[in-house]
Amino acid sequence: MYLIGEFREKESATDAIRELRAAGVAACNLDVFSDEPVELPRGVLDRPSRMSLISVLGAIAFGLAATAFVYWAQHDYKVVTGGMPLFSFWATGVITYEMTMLGAIVTTFVWFLWESGLARKRDCSAPVPKVDPGSICLRVRCGAEQAPQAAEVMRRTDAIHIERRGEV
Amino acid sequence: MAPELLPYQRIREDLFRPLSGISRNYAVATVIAFVVGIAGLMAWGYQLRRGMGVTGLQRPVFWGFYIVDFVFWIGISHAGTLISAILRLTSAAWRKPVTRAAEALTVFALMIGGMFPIIHLGRAWLFYWLIPYPNSRLLWPNFRSPLLWDLTAIVTYVIGSVIYLYLPLIPDMAQLAEHNTPWRRRLYRALSLGWTGSDREWHALERAMKLMACIILAVAVSVHTVVAWDFAMAVAPMWHSSIFGPYFVVGAIFSGIAALLIVMSALRKVLHLERYLTPYHFRNLSKLLLLMSLLWLYFTVAENLTVWYGNDPKEMAVFGARTRGPYAPYFWTMVVLNFVIPFILLGIRRLRAIRTATIAAVCVVVGMWLERFVIVVPTLANPRLPVSSSSYAPTWVEVSITAATFAAMMMLYMIFAKLFPIIAVWEFKPHPQEEN
Amino acid sequence: MAIDLDRCTGCEACVVACHAENNLPLAGPEGAAKGRTAHWIRIDRYYEGEFPDVKVKYMPVLCQHCDDAPCEPVCPTYATYHNPEGLNVQVYNRCIGTFYCANNCPYTVRYFNWFEPEWAEPLELQHNPDVAVRMAGVMEKCTFCIQRIKRAKESAAADGRPLADGDVQPACVQSCAAEAMVFGDLNDPRSKVSRLAQNGRSTRLLEELGTRPKVFYLQKAR
Repeated sequence: MYLIGEFREKESATDAIRELRAAGVAACNLDVFSDEPVELPRGVLDRPSRMSLISVLGAIAFGLAATAFVYWAQHDYKVVTGGMPLFSFWATGVITYEMTMLGAIVTTFVWFLWESGLARKRDCSAPVPKVDPGSICLRVRCGAEQAPQAAEVMRRTDAIHIERRGEV
Repeated sequence: MAPELLPYQRIREDLFRPLSGISRNYAVATVIAFVVGIAGLMAWGYQLRRGMGVTGLQRPVFWGFYIVDFVFWIGISHAGTLISAILRLTSAAWRKPVTRAAEALTVFALMIGGMFPIIHLGRAWLFYWLIPYPNSRLLWPNFRSPLLWDLTAIVTYVIGSVIYLYLPLIPDMAQLAEHNTPWRRRLYRALSLGWTGSDREWHALERAMKLMACIILAVAVSVHTVVAWDFAMAVAPMWHSSIFGPYFVVGAIFSGIAALLIVMSALRKVLHLERYLTPYHFRNLSKLLLLMSLLWLYFTVAENLTVWYGNDPKEMAVFGARTRGPYAPYFWTMVVLNFVIPFILLGIRRLRAIRTATIAAVCVVVGMWLERFVIVVPTLANPRLPVSSSSYAPTWVEVSITAATFAAMMMLYMIFAKLFPIIAVWEFKPHPQEEN
Repeated sequence: MAIDLDRCTGCEACVVACHAENNLPLAGPEGAAKGRTAHWIRIDRYYEGEFPDVKVKYMPVLCQHCDDAPCEPVCPTYATYHNPEGLNVQVYNRCIGTFYCANNCPYTVRYFNWFEPEWAEPLELQHNPDVAVRMAGVMEKCTFCIQRIKRAKESAAADGRPLADGDVQPACVQSCAAEAMVFGDLNDPRSKVSRLAQNGRSTRLLEELGTRPKVFYLQKAR
């Protein structure tokens, strides 16, 4: 089942999350909803990200693929122009660079869609709280037995509103 | 009261209000844009039918208005990159109401500028031969040609700009998904990709935007360098210059900021955003414009001084044509519009205001168009064998197509402002817990 | 090709012959006023001195078929490239009209088809069937009469003999009354053009650009 607590202060929400995690709730069962991005202190609810690494890898892959393609294409149909060699790394340099950048762009965007969860199959039973502007909503997924404990934590940390949704 | 301190509801109302309803001015502007645009399309159709002879081009001036327009519009597209990317990376707070308008300007300027490599072709219907795809001619395009580099650079920049515009738009789309018009609801819901505002989504978005800012900056610098290399890689006198890469990038950022200033001024007036686009923002944009004007002057002096001192006869022929010959009126007007007027209007503190900034920006936009003209045409008109020298004057076809692109830009922007909030609401008003 | 500038009288018979041989489009008076004439070979005139001591140099300028042609690498569709025989070839079908080759040619010897070509009657009956008529939107230039090269090679092959020096005569060379132009195989050291290229008066146009042009101009003896 899901518990949704609404907080007006970032500190309250942070305390609630800390206590819940200390009590054993896993980070993947916690979600924080807000209308604008909220920066929680480090260590509270870190979401590890591989975006930079994936972006660089994607960029390198695109760049190499594009250069290899140009090399192959210019040898596929051998035409001499201006006494220049068939394939020259520096002459192809611009295309290598642009395609590297395009790889970074496309990879970043695709990975963003994945990492944010927007492109993944959604868990339709998970309720999405309607967040009032200025509020932070904390959604906890837990079993029916832990629910009262979690609710107590949230009450202690000054949640202005707590509701239960769904049954396990 | 500073706009960020206004209550949420008020901000949202102000920024979402322009999305509904069409005023009389909007309708009139649409009609004008439509008429000019259709005239341009008809001119292009006429050109396609009859041949490139309907333009003013002649041997040896094989590139004229269309290439000038191409470089001009691609230059305007650098507005978004500078404002959005650099200011995001430096966390400059004043960028917030300006970023989306700048990013939209970039995307539309690229779309328009990207049309010109097609419009200027002798056999424009075959433009797709530049795309590498397996074909019955058993040919690949020539990747050694700077025009292919243009293609890859511009395609990359377009895709990058669209993504860079779209990413910060997603949370606003989620906000608008409860709009009262059914087709808008569908549109916004589809574009919001099911955004719920969870911390996972926000973190991913912010990370992606930071990465994209770095990438798009690198791409923007390369795009206009590559466009400059269309000229610099040729052996034509006064084109074959290593300064062209950086010169064009500086010129692009210069004209981009000017265009952005004009757009912001217009939006402020038309959408009643006086609270959000304050004199403070225009002061900062003015300072940037002044800085770019000085930088542009530096590059212009550097290029012309070295040519003049070097005294190479072929280059001096072009230099003479620019400074004393038939193109002198355009050259010196360009200097006045790009440097003298902005320096006076933006440099003297007492004169700095939104109106004077806009006037200076309009001068810069015109001056930068003239700069492109003065770069492209005099060189071609004075080839290495002087016997073939000639001149160039545009025809109504070229003028109407050029005018149509301005109309198209206006039209695209007006449609955009009606569909999407021109200021990113979530970026503009940070979470109350984040304000410190 | 070798052109002796001492012999050239500027009569422009070569220009006319080229027009006839290669189906060149006619610009008409309006086109000429707009600078749209296409002469694959043209006579450039250089004047020295004041009347009455004027000296004129007539210089037939045509595509130099440069070995390091600046026009070739910039064409995005390979419409111009260097064939193994050393000719700078223009493939009309591939040309989409980007104009880059013409801008990059330092000799300004490339010409564009601004409109669909028209010939007043009965000139269109005079067309050479061996040469394509170009459509609007493509670039063209001197081909060293590639159709004549091809015909000479076929003729020699049919006779079972190698191509001899002087077998191939482009239209301009053939028509020159002063015999100022010589065409041949530069790879053959015994051909007339090779010997003229070694001549003390032999120069090339805009050589300092490194284009390695293959037209040798023998300067006027003073």
